[in-house]
Amino acid sequence: MIFIMAWRNIWRNKMRSIVIMLSVSIGLFAGIAVLALYKGMMRSRVRTVIDAEISHIQIHQKEFKKDYDPAYTLQAGDSIQAIIRRMKQVKFVARRSITQGMLNTPTGSAGVQINGIEPDIEYQTSQLREKIIKGEGFHSDKKNEILIGKKLADKMKLKTASKLVLTFTDTAGNIVSAAFRVAGIYQSQNAPLDEVVVYVELRTLSALLLVGNSFHEIAILLKDDDDLLFVQRELEQRFPGYLVESWKQISPETELLVKTVDEYSYIIIIIILFALAFGIVNTMLMAILERTREIGMMVALGTTKSKVFLLVLFETILLTIAGTPLGLLAALVVTGYYHKHGLDLSGMGKDMMASFGFNTIVYPSFPIEKLLAIMLLVAGTAIVASLLPALKALRLEAVKALRR
Amino acid sequence: MNNTVIDAHNISKVYNPETIPVYAVNSVHLHLARGEFAALVGPSGSGKTTLLNLIGGLDKPDVGEIFINGVDITKLSVNQLINFRLHNIGFVFQSFNLIPVLTAKENAEFIMLLQGRRKREREKRLTQLFKQIGLEEKMNTRPAELSGGQQQRIAVARALASKPQFVLADEPTANLDSNSASNLLDIMAKLNAEENMTFLFSTHDPRVIERAARVITLVDGKITVDTAPTGSLHIKHEDAHSEKI
Repeated sequence: MIFIMAWRNIWRNKMRSIVIMLSVSIGLFAGIAVLALYKGMMRSRVRTVIDAEISHIQIHQKEFKKDYDPAYTLQAGDSIQAIIRRMKQVKFVARRSITQGMLNTPTGSAGVQINGIEPDIEYQTSQLREKIIKGEGFHSDKKNEILIGKKLADKMKLKTASKLVLTFTDTAGNIVSAAFRVAGIYQSQNAPLDEVVVYVELRTLSALLLVGNSFHEIAILLKDDDDLLFVQRELEQRFPGYLVESWKQISPETELLVKTVDEYSYIIIIIILFALAFGIVNTMLMAILERTREIGMMVALGTTKSKVFLLVLFETILLTIAGTPLGLLAALVVTGYYHKHGLDLSGMGKDMMASFGFNTIVYPSFPIEKLLAIMLLVAGTAIVASLLPALKALRLEAVKALRR
Repeated sequence: MNNTVIDAHNISKVYNPETIPVYAVNSVHLHLARGEFAALVGPSGSGKTTLLNLIGGLDKPDVGEIFINGVDITKLSVNQLINFRLHNIGFVFQSFNLIPVLTAKENAEFIMLLQGRRKREREKRLTQLFKQIGLEEKMNTRPAELSGGQQQRIAVARALASKPQFVLADEPTANLDSNSASNLLDIMAKLNAEENMTFLFSTHDPRVIERAARVITLVDGKITVDTAPTGSLHIKHEDAHSEKI
């Protein structure tokens, strides 16, 4: 009976209740839209990190990453690579040689990280081919070609076919300089990396570093993200002498960013619901004030305080929850549309977003995994919002209320 | 077997005790036996509603004791009083005070539901009551669609549904036309006769006073005249002595 009364009571002043329900719908829609946008951005960032920058797992010699000394190559790298290739969870395996050096042109110089790659494999593993915006990339019949990032090209005033000199130290401690011709200019979604990472062919770099057929890094791209932990553990057990790291360990800032944004998104929802709670409290206080006499009569007849409290609580919860399906539906439809077609945020500053490693086209994703938490937050808001009106109702003295 | 339902001893209620004290009820003694049909009369401000509120456990006296079926309700806590009212007292208010979102039947059923009565028992009682008040056709109608007289009959049904020890009615006919008032009084008198239900109602209405078996007159918070159930009259003087005429 109390529940039925609560439901009917919210329709006593239809316009007022509908306004509150719409507020809840819009608030919830806004909150979920923000969550979906954040989720889309974070997904995009993580995908970029995995598919275009780091891959799922990297293997190095344990000492290598301390100061990128080219002497620390992966012994038996070829056989390790062969074993990894046979794992059913693995999609692509790329090997790389890496060293730090200087890029020199007649107009200036810049510190760079030189990645020696096998172009055909790298094109698949890190989508390097798709990133090339000028030039054709590596030619199999040409030597000493280099791919540089757009930002570095702009900075050093380099174009395709421009010549430059790379200077670095080989494994014997000699300073080596080699001339390269720009075979292509790439642009990734991570502008800071574009400024420092250059790509040359693995065989060229290995020869200059005097490492023979050895290399420094194995990058592994998995078929399924969910296999990450399993494959990492498997590799750690198989190759205990090497450093096997996941993208989360290599790029902790990305992991931190995802977690932080996740928490922020909850804070945003809480702020929205907190603001809505004031509207709900106001509406319920008005409803209680209007029904002072009725509540007094109910208490006079023998309605216990707990039942009066429940009546106000149910009314508030129903008023709040009634607007929830519409908000969820609107969020589902809108995020679904943009998930399919993408949301162009380049108006917010393409360069700025790129400098933080974000793609300007975001594909928002409905945060289904947060739905339960959101619903609990909505219910929590309703309960909190009901407390003040319920307290007001409980304080009513039957004899005074009946005089009104 | 003790036949007393209401036994009020020397009860007083004072408003503004520290500034200008107003004695709404002043040293009242009232004794009501089971099955009485009594009217509480007096001019406006004489303390009728306050006395009903005190007897109904809606308010507490500053002095005195009120025994309902042997229980001193002045000693009960707020929650105990709510529970006591629920199980022992039926209320009929001047302005009907039905719950607008409930149908006539649901309004009458309200107290029985609060008491946790079973559905079969509720249905049986409500069918009987709606027949008695002549509103079987209006059971599923909301109060807003009923006339004042019909609403007050529903309020009476609500008060009686749980078969309370007695019914307190505060000016039940005040907002009714003469036909509706007469009809309501017939129903209350019938229920009083059929179910031996005790009624105490405050009123200005001569039609009600005429129908009452006992008339208690209240002036300035004191009972000045009280006709006995037998029809004899007690005139009470200021010094609380009474003489039988």
